[in-house]
Amino acid sequence: MALTYLEAIREALTRALRDDPTVFIYGQDVATFGGAFKATKNLSRDFPGRVLDAPISEDAMLGMAIGAAIEGMRPIVEMQFADFSSIAFNQIVNQAATHFWRTGVTCPLVVRLPSGGTPGSGPFHSQMMESIYAHYPGLVVLTPATVGDAYSMLLEAVALDDPVIFCEHKFLYYHLKDEALPEESLPIGKARIARMGRHATVVTYSAMVHESLRAAADLAAEGYEIEVIDLRSVKPIDSDTVLASVARTGRLLCVGESFPWGGVCAEVIARVVADGFNLLDAPPQRLNAKDTPIPYHPNLWAAHRPTAATIAESLRRLLRF
Amino acid sequence: MAMSDVLPSALAGADQYVSAYRWMLLARRMEEKISSLYHAGKIVGGVYLGRGQEAFSAALGVSLRRRKDVFSPLIRDMAGRLAFGEPLLDPARTYLGSVLGPMRGRDGNIHRGRPAEGMPAMISHLGSMVSVVCGMLVARRFRGDVEAVGAACIGDGATSTGSFHEAVNLAAVEKLPLVIAVANNQFAYSTPTDRQFACADLVDRAIGYGIDGHRVDGTDLAECLEVFGRAVARARAGQGPQLVVGRLLRLTGHGAHDDANYVPEALKQTELGRDCLERARQHLLDHGLATVAELEQWDREAVHEVQLAVATAQKDPVPEAAGEDWRALSSF
Amino acid sequence: MPLVPILMPQLGESIAEATVKHLGIVLGQEVLADAEIMEVETQKATMSVTVPCAGRVADLRAEVEVSYAVGATLGYLEVTMEEALRAGIELPETQMVSPEAQTSSVVVEENLHFRYDAGDLFAGDDGQPTVEPVLRGLPVPANATGASYISPRMRVRMAELGLNAADLAAVAGTGEGGRVTVEDFERFMTSIEKLPMTKASPMRVAVADAMRRSWTRPLATVGITVALDTLLAHRRTVEARPGPTLYAIRALAIALAESPALAGRLVGGRIVHPKGIDIGFAVEVDDGVLVPMIRDVDRQPLASLTQTYNTLVEKGRSKRLPPEAIGTGAATVTNFGTFGIVWATPIPLPEQNLLLGLGAGRQAPVWSEQEQRFLPVTEAQLTLSFDHRILDGGAAGRLLHRIATLMQKPAEL
Repeated sequence: MALTYLEAIREALTRALRDDPTVFIYGQDVATFGGAFKATKNLSRDFPGRVLDAPISEDAMLGMAIGAAIEGMRPIVEMQFADFSSIAFNQIVNQAATHFWRTGVTCPLVVRLPSGGTPGSGPFHSQMMESIYAHYPGLVVLTPATVGDAYSMLLEAVALDDPVIFCEHKFLYYHLKDEALPEESLPIGKARIARMGRHATVVTYSAMVHESLRAAADLAAEGYEIEVIDLRSVKPIDSDTVLASVARTGRLLCVGESFPWGGVCAEVIARVVADGFNLLDAPPQRLNAKDTPIPYHPNLWAAHRPTAATIAESLRRLLRF
Repeated sequence: MAMSDVLPSALAGADQYVSAYRWMLLARRMEEKISSLYHAGKIVGGVYLGRGQEAFSAALGVSLRRRKDVFSPLIRDMAGRLAFGEPLLDPARTYLGSVLGPMRGRDGNIHRGRPAEGMPAMISHLGSMVSVVCGMLVARRFRGDVEAVGAACIGDGATSTGSFHEAVNLAAVEKLPLVIAVANNQFAYSTPTDRQFACADLVDRAIGYGIDGHRVDGTDLAECLEVFGRAVARARAGQGPQLVVGRLLRLTGHGAHDDANYVPEALKQTELGRDCLERARQHLLDHGLATVAELEQWDREAVHEVQLAVATAQKDPVPEAAGEDWRALSSF
Repeated sequence: MPLVPILMPQLGESIAEATVKHLGIVLGQEVLADAEIMEVETQKATMSVTVPCAGRVADLRAEVEVSYAVGATLGYLEVTMEEALRAGIELPETQMVSPEAQTSSVVVEENLHFRYDAGDLFAGDDGQPTVEPVLRGLPVPANATGASYISPRMRVRMAELGLNAADLAAVAGTGEGGRVTVEDFERFMTSIEKLPMTKASPMRVAVADAMRRSWTRPLATVGITVALDTLLAHRRTVEARPGPTLYAIRALAIALAESPALAGRLVGGRIVHPKGIDIGFAVEVDDGVLVPMIRDVDRQPLASLTQTYNTLVEKGRSKRLPPEAIGTGAATVTNFGTFGIVWATPIPLPEQNLLLGLGAGRQAPVWSEQEQRFLPVTEAQLTLSFDHRILDGGAAGRLLHRIATLMQKPAEL
């Protein structure tokens, strides 16, 4: 029976609630309504009192989760959209992220961020926030790209003693399907080689993994074997797998859907240049969304973010070098 | 959610009064010492003093159950902290940067806390601790602890933050046993209350949130004890959040670096400007709760305790960068 | 009449498809604008589908309990032209048929503001990809042959194998600007494995290194014909019988002593002058060349140099040069004439600016104005190779002229 990315998240939530009595879910419209994307559908029915509707108070929602986490609970907060987590930014980066380091008391909570663009979503329902949260010490930032990872990484996130920013991609919610949930999976902090190759390495994560795989397929027809690395977790980041891949290929393209400035792609390139300069046969490149707010109209949106076509074109130029 | 009238102060138990007084005294002596060390160059960073707010703070502290309730202090709550059970060594060590203190040199001064013992470590972003206390209470409710009460201290300035509003509203929605103690000391740093809010009295906001509101003369320990006692009892009894607004005046600068020259002399001469510690001392004498000799003895004991804590902390090892575990995550 | 499609709307953020739960219309039914014609269910909610204008249901493809992608055509509405215009539905010009030709053939497919093919999992733009702001052509700082750009990875591989850029001269680069990629390089290294190879001697490697380094400079050569008869006659008068090379050495030294800056090396913005007029000369040895050096040649007459010269030639050939003969001289003389070579453009030592070359002497008929006939003259080609950054053709030519003149007066040498 095929399972969507969203259903995998719901399965993970169900299992977390079932297996751990300290887990509870908090967010806007998550209880009876089942969440804006139905990630928590039926959970309040199946786990009475443990799936709580929150007022439209992202700051207080996070503060509440932090207080509960300090007391030993494992709250899972659903932001209705990743974009709205900016309201909770202070609680996330100043309170949750600093807590363990300051006090020695862990703050185990998961913030689920429905992230990324879908057609017509516009500037405030499309953002990718992983780069900005990865910037802050004290946060684990996850960006699952597959149905299996959505499930296993969410479960692992709930079990972690650190605050986790769980970036789910909305575009994958209903589109991405898999036959079954994984029996076992790579641990958080390990990247996955999504496709083997020897001519160039694409390092990416979240929905861009699929765009990159399509680009790699296009280039295979042109005689190039592209290696695609799915980071899975942007923090901690698996530099070793990236460096090992660049050692094989000598060429690096980083692809991210987030804005270009100072993001995950910049971090990957900085690490490869610093630690693997001698592996590079070409200047490492990155492809991000444009440095503008995310446009509403699908025609503009499709050109704003990287797509298989622009990734393939970037790869061709990189391969020509 | 009737507004509480101020009840006669004689209702507070004598023992509780004496206890609160002694915490106030200890806090005052400790802060005088900390301030002195700051001016002697022994303390880096900020020093924030609660002079004039000890009665309001201590009354809340003694109204809570140590280690069973939650007490979230802010920057002027030395008295409340001590009353709630914070060892005097904690402020000494934190201010002096001892690696043995609760913050191990990683954070300083009033940011100290013991979150595992019901006293969260505040961050500088005002208003943001109220929702944390809400979470701690939610956790206790999940665990089946229906007795616990949480208190969040805050100032008049922080009531202007969105964070404060969101948290109080959330607490009201969840009907949490939360006591919000607003010390209206007339100034947020240098900004007077008429530039901070336009309502007649901050306690009026309770109506908007659908919670109980209490106003109290923050310079009168007996009244503070009575009001906080009632607020805590109501919260514990399931009556939901309790907003307690104390009228008082900060008898010091915003921090030890601030001479507070912006506070009008006339304001200091009003009832707001009365020193709560002096008033409590007089009350003890007037009501035969203590003799002059006893008061002097308590003072000597407080000074001695402060000396001991500071001397211990000064001899403590300081953090070494080379030995520091520079990891912000516990898992990786 | 035009046909307007009935579309599956996008009912919510990131919704890709919806299931028809109830059909409120039948084929042929007349419907009003904005009428709710069916109920569909998404993962998020149950909602109704409306029509954008009034018309008759001309086609109905939707079936109950079947899921359709967002944007899918669920049927068609036959509408009047007036109604289509009233509703602001744009009809492509070619489809603006006259009402008379109402054959239900006009299908308005381009009515969608949002063409989003949810069936294609990751459909993006379908035009030419515009790749920006990255990858702006990746300009390679290469010279005309492309050989000079070496990527970090190439640099390390070459260092591992002890190679220099010159070793890759034979590799045709396939990278930008003809640069040699690591793949080109590895292919080349693999290809030469199949060919016979011998190990280069240390001497060969040392000479190669010196020449490669020297060749990084813009080198040029000027030449002049010099008559040797006077010199050869003079030679016979000297007991030690100095060879033509030694005359050239002495002439070069005297000329340089007159203006030592000509032998200077360019380092950054400064010309480094030679410490003394020490002149080297090339001695062929097994698999290479040695350049012994004679100190202060400008201060020693020819006769006194002969013994030193002969000793150094001998010691050089046995590769046993004394320490005083080793070092950075002011310039070098090479007698390529000993190989029967008439003309050459030899390469100066990397640490020197000048290399004076002497070709093989030969009898040539030279027209004598005085005697009005050709006279047999022994002449040779004298060449001066130099770093063009320091000397121009004129200065090099004047220096060579001066040397040639001096060689015409062997008695003064």
